[in-house]
Amino acid sequence: MGPGGNVRIEVERAILQSADEAAAAIRDLLSERKIFALNLISSPGSGKTTLIEALLARFDGKGGVAVVEGDIETEIDAERIRKHGVQVRQINTHSACHIQPFRLLSVLREMDLSETRLLLVENVGNLVCPAEVSLGEDARVVLLSVTEGDEKPLKYPLVFKTSDLLVITKTDLLPYVTFDVERVRRAARAANPAVEIFEVSATTGAGMSALLDRFETLRAAKN
Amino acid sequence: MHELGVANEILDVALSEADRHAAKKVTSIRLRVGVLRAIEPENLSFLFGHLSRGTPAEGARLEIVEEPVRVECPDCGVSEASSFPFECPRCKGSGISVTGGDSLSILSLDVDA
Repeated sequence: MGPGGNVRIEVERAILQSADEAAAAIRDLLSERKIFALNLISSPGSGKTTLIEALLARFDGKGGVAVVEGDIETEIDAERIRKHGVQVRQINTHSACHIQPFRLLSVLREMDLSETRLLLVENVGNLVCPAEVSLGEDARVVLLSVTEGDEKPLKYPLVFKTSDLLVITKTDLLPYVTFDVERVRRAARAANPAVEIFEVSATTGAGMSALLDRFETLRAAKN
Repeated sequence: MHELGVANEILDVALSEADRHAAKKVTSIRLRVGVLRAIEPENLSFLFGHLSRGTPAEGARLEIVEEPVRVECPDCGVSEASSFPFECPRCKGSGISVTGGDSLSILSLDVDA
């Protein structure tokens, strides 16, 4: 290239590649220790922490569960989970709208995971940014509560495209809201034909055991 | 504001490539952005402009090549869409599968050598 000219440099590089590298390091750490990890994503208030509590009740006494809570600020969720007597860490992301994989990696390196078989990561409540970044998880779970409306897959398609499981929550409220479950199922399947869809209510317990059974099967497959 | 991390990484790549090629100034950066990425071009350009101040990439233009989603319908074949469809944009059939539209990459840089 001659001096003074305008030159085109071909780059062809994925943005967020450094995040993908950190996610790969997490994946290695998890597979070395045979830990099955879930990345839970939803809007604020869809029931991520409640699902974690149900999982803790199910897996109690069946090997170690560790939890990482992601929030912009506060330790409120970590304190709620700590009452269940499991190992929990809070990541406060401050200005960031999702858990960044390098933060999770450094937290995991500090934790005692020698007994851990199941890692539950609760991402920051948000359907946009967490969808863009892998945390090296074995399964990505998106929760959608029926009070949020059935157009969410249309508005936030990436998270529905990249999730392995879709959990429709608060189904006991279906009689009181406009929410077409079939419409959501159709849209989610269009985004990801392999997605597994569950309908649950933590209040009545409907559908919970089928979902928890599925998590148990998935975890057993890795151990 | 998820564009902030993206803008930051674009700047990092642009500066290291410019340095590697001994370029004085980056004049434009071509990006491929999938429509599912929810990237607001104006927001991205604003943040990049702010972050690049005082660097060789100050004033560089971001050129965004939009990547549509690819819709496959069992009845009428393949079409493209600029947003995520619930149904086939042509026949309104529901048995579609949707691929692509999630790219986020830097294609090339134009620099003054």
